[in-house]
Amino acid sequence: MNGSAEAHVDYHDAVGVVTLTGEVDIVQAGQLRERLLGAIRNEDLGLVVDLTEASYIDSVGVSLLFELAEKLSERQLRLGVVLPDGGLVGRVLGIVNLAAVAEVHSSVDEALTSIRGA
Amino acid sequence: MKSRVTSDRLRDLQSITDAALAYLPLERLLDELLNRVVEILGADTSAILLLEDDDSTLVPRAAKGLEQEVERGIRIPVGRGFAGHIAATRRPVRILNVADADIYNPILREKGLASLLGVPLVVEGQAVGVLHVGTLTERAFDDEDVELLQRAGDRAALAISSRLTERERGLADALQRSLMPSLPELPAVSLAGRYLPAAAERLGGDWYDAFLLPDGRLGMAIGDVVGRGFHAAAIMGQLRSGLRAYALEAAAPGDVLERLSRLLRQIEPGRTATAVYLVLDPHGGGLSVASAGHPPPLVQPPGEEPGLLELPGSVPLGATRSVRYETQELDLEPGSVLVLYTDGFVERPGEPLDSRLNRLIATVRDGDEHLEHLGDTLVDVLLPEGPGGDDAALLMARAMPLGDTLVARFPAEVESIPGLRRLLGRWLDEAGATRRDIDDLTLAAAEAAANAIEHAYGLAPGVVELHATACDEDTVKVEISDFGSWRAPRGTHRGRGLLLMEGLTDDVEVVRTGEGTTVELTRRIGVEEAA
Repeated sequence: MNGSAEAHVDYHDAVGVVTLTGEVDIVQAGQLRERLLGAIRNEDLGLVVDLTEASYIDSVGVSLLFELAEKLSERQLRLGVVLPDGGLVGRVLGIVNLAAVAEVHSSVDEALTSIRGA
Repeated sequence: MKSRVTSDRLRDLQSITDAALAYLPLERLLDELLNRVVEILGADTSAILLLEDDDSTLVPRAAKGLEQEVERGIRIPVGRGFAGHIAATRRPVRILNVADADIYNPILREKGLASLLGVPLVVEGQAVGVLHVGTLTERAFDDEDVELLQRAGDRAALAISSRLTERERGLADALQRSLMPSLPELPAVSLAGRYLPAAAERLGGDWYDAFLLPDGRLGMAIGDVVGRGFHAAAIMGQLRSGLRAYALEAAAPGDVLERLSRLLRQIEPGRTATAVYLVLDPHGGGLSVASAGHPPPLVQPPGEEPGLLELPGSVPLGATRSVRYETQELDLEPGSVLVLYTDGFVERPGEPLDSRLNRLIATVRDGDEHLEHLGDTLVDVLLPEGPGGDDAALLMARAMPLGDTLVARFPAEVESIPGLRRLLGRWLDEAGATRRDIDDLTLAAAEAAANAIEHAYGLAPGVVELHATACDEDTVKVEISDFGSWRAPRGTHRGRGLLLMEGLTDDVEVVRTGEGTTVELTRRIGVEEAA
């Protein structure tokens, strides 16, 4: 619990990959929201959010993902979320049923293949 | 025009210095004294200059016929010109003809003074200022004039010195009080500090500080500015504020010290200071520390021998242009004692440093659990006759075991949430919870706290209380209370907050009373990955 979070954005052939590390919470949500929404490009096929290195996510962080899904859906873009096996972040996103608005994957490669293949 | 009735003059001087003036404020005392000196000696001007704290500059404080001298704020170096020479030699000076003399202050010539007589104001063998008279026509001041003026000067010096000392003492005490921090109160850490001024001075360059950082961790600093007196204390005050400001922005103690070193070089090139800055996670047990040429902190883990932290060698703040201070990351077990000190505690002329450090270590090892008592003992053992020529500071911390029931209050601000999570996490760990229990319960508690912060108080400041207790051997109840008006969770993410609380615990109850709202979270703990 170091109380910080970072968002790193990378693009892989028409798919953006945002890697979130640290704590995706009420304290960090403001700065993360700008990075996440800013990563959307109209010409892309979709966006992947990699949460395997995120240690924590609260309801504000969850809402951020739902907002992102909505914004992408308005543009006919797809959202892929990469979760680690087990752990708090996976449990939280299971409870709120993130799978209803995003494709859940276990690796970035899997998510990229799925978005490109569709 | 010059009276020769010396005893009358002396009586005049005595009445001036002993009786009437004794009750006047200092400025009026000086004014009145100058009036009388002019009158008795038949002079045209008179002035009193006082020595600054740096002992190297004279500044006019009161004048008759030379008022511009005071108004212009001229500063006369000791050793230079008429008054400077008197202060440097502590001997009277007679000048028959100003035109031929070495005069530093141009006002004396501008006023058309012909002759001057000046005497030093001496207290306990030290010059504290100069009293001088002047005439517009040439006059050879005789020995009797010198003696008279010197007597007036002596009496004035005593009055000035006692009033200055009184004023300085008041200022020193006020400054001292404002510079020594009030230590923050934390549920998980107890703190105590000591500051002992050097024997001869009320103010010095040592300081300590402890403050809560926005993420709930505790910043602790101790330092020592080279030098003594008001000036060193003023630099110390600036460094202390600077360190706090940088600590709010930079995470790593080494970075904070680097910036502080640059600040010191900006404030006063050539001045150096030593310091240790550390950040303690009172709820997680981590310790980050960096030192700038300061004696190493002492740590005693519970049930173990105390020892000095081994930190890499480092230069003092301000010593070199570009400098890097390394940050060390360490673990601190609950119950550990941490002692920061300045060299005034461990350095003593004629005693080897090692033997004093060993006494420090032995005293902490055998010392009282209670930090205030430990502080008293350390002062008694290490400085039995009080501090010597150097001031001394001490800052102690103990990471407390949290006990069966945890109660803590936090400001109702979003920034309180990480600290609340850490504290609850540590308590749950001590209570035997698994990693998963801790993750789930701290998140559920954070959601309850976020709801209270966002909805109970609106824009008014308030508090959120955390209460955690074991219901039985394997069940804990965590309560989050606010003392504001209840409003149902609103908006989708608050709705999800309630969903998370329910999903991550066994039971969620919301209890509303006239005083506020309590969310009760109950969960079985200690069961390894049941599902």
